[in-house]
Amino acid sequence: MSVASDAWDRSWVRRSLLAIAAIVAASPLFAWAAGRVGYAEPLENAAERTGAMAHEVTYNPGLLPDYAIPGLDPLVGTFVSAVVGTALTLVVATAIARLLAD
Amino acid sequence: MHIPDGFLDLWIAVVCAALAGGTLVVAARRADGELTDTTAPVLGIVAAGLFAAQMLNWPIPGGTSAHFVGGAFAAILLGPHLGALCVATVVTIQALVFGDGGLVVLGANVLNMAVIEVYVGYGLYRLLAGHNEFVAAFVAGWLGITAGAVAAALQLGASSAFAYELVTTVSIMGVGHLLLGLIEGGITAVVYRYVADARPDLFPTATTTEVAA
Repeated sequence: MSVASDAWDRSWVRRSLLAIAAIVAASPLFAWAAGRVGYAEPLENAAERTGAMAHEVTYNPGLLPDYAIPGLDPLVGTFVSAVVGTALTLVVATAIARLLAD
Repeated sequence: MHIPDGFLDLWIAVVCAALAGGTLVVAARRADGELTDTTAPVLGIVAAGLFAAQMLNWPIPGGTSAHFVGGAFAAILLGPHLGALCVATVVTIQALVFGDGGLVVLGANVLNMAVIEVYVGYGLYRLLAGHNEFVAAFVAGWLGITAGAVAAALQLGASSAFAYELVTTVSIMGVGHLLLGLIEGGITAVVYRYVADARPDLFPTATTTEVAA
C-alpha cells in the first residue's frame, strides 16, 4: 500500500513539475501578447489618477529588475526570470515545508 | 497589485508589516504538524506553480492585463495556514529578486495577497463548499482577490502619495479587480476541479462527499 502510494506520489510530483515547466516555457509568449495590448493594472491607473506616480521610489531593483535582464531582449529576460524564480520558489518553499515537518 | 516603495505612508507600511508578520507566525504554528516529509514537496510545488502562473500576463483587449495570483487556490488546496506561507514565499521572492513590490511595503503586499486574499478566499470556499465545490472555488478566487485589492486600495488611499483620495483608489481598484477577478475565479475553479479529480486525498479541507462528485 505504502509502496504503491509512494509511486503515485512520485508520478504526481513529476507531472506537476512538467506542467510548471510548460507554464514557464509559455511565459515569453504571454509577455509578448500582453505587451501588444499595452499593460496597465488598476493600481497603476489609480496612481496616475491621483498623481502618485511621482512618489514611486526603488530601494531594491532586484537581481532581475522587473523580470528582465538589463541590456538583453525582454522576452529572453522573461524566460530566464520564470526559470530562476520558479526554481528558487520551489527550493525555498520546500525548505520551509521541511522545517515545519520536523 | 504589488505596491512599490514610496506609495504608502510609513506608519501604514509598519502596521501592515506587523499584521502580516503576526499572522504568518500564527500560521506557521498552526501548520506545524500538518506536514510530513512526504507531503512537504506539495507546498514547494504549489508555491512554484503560483510563481510560474503569475508570470503569465493574460492580455485583455482595451489595454489591461491580469495574472492569476492564486491565494484562494493555495488556501483551498493546502488549508489557509500553509496557503498563507506559500503565497508569502512567492510575494517575498518577487520583491527581493525581481523588484516586483517594494521593500518597505513588503509587509503590506504580504498582508494583501498572502493573508487577506488567502483567508477571505478560504472562508468563502468553506461557506459555499457544502452547496457546490466548483462554484465555491470560483467565488473564493473571485472575491478573495477583490478583497486583497480593496485592502491595498484602502492602504493607498489613506496615504499622502495618493493625496488621501480614498474613494478614487477604492473605486478604481475595487471595480477593476472585481472584473479581473472573474478570471482568477475561473482559473481557481478549473484547476481546483482538475486537481481534486486527480488527487482527492490532497483535500483535507474538502467535505468527503463532494470530492467524489
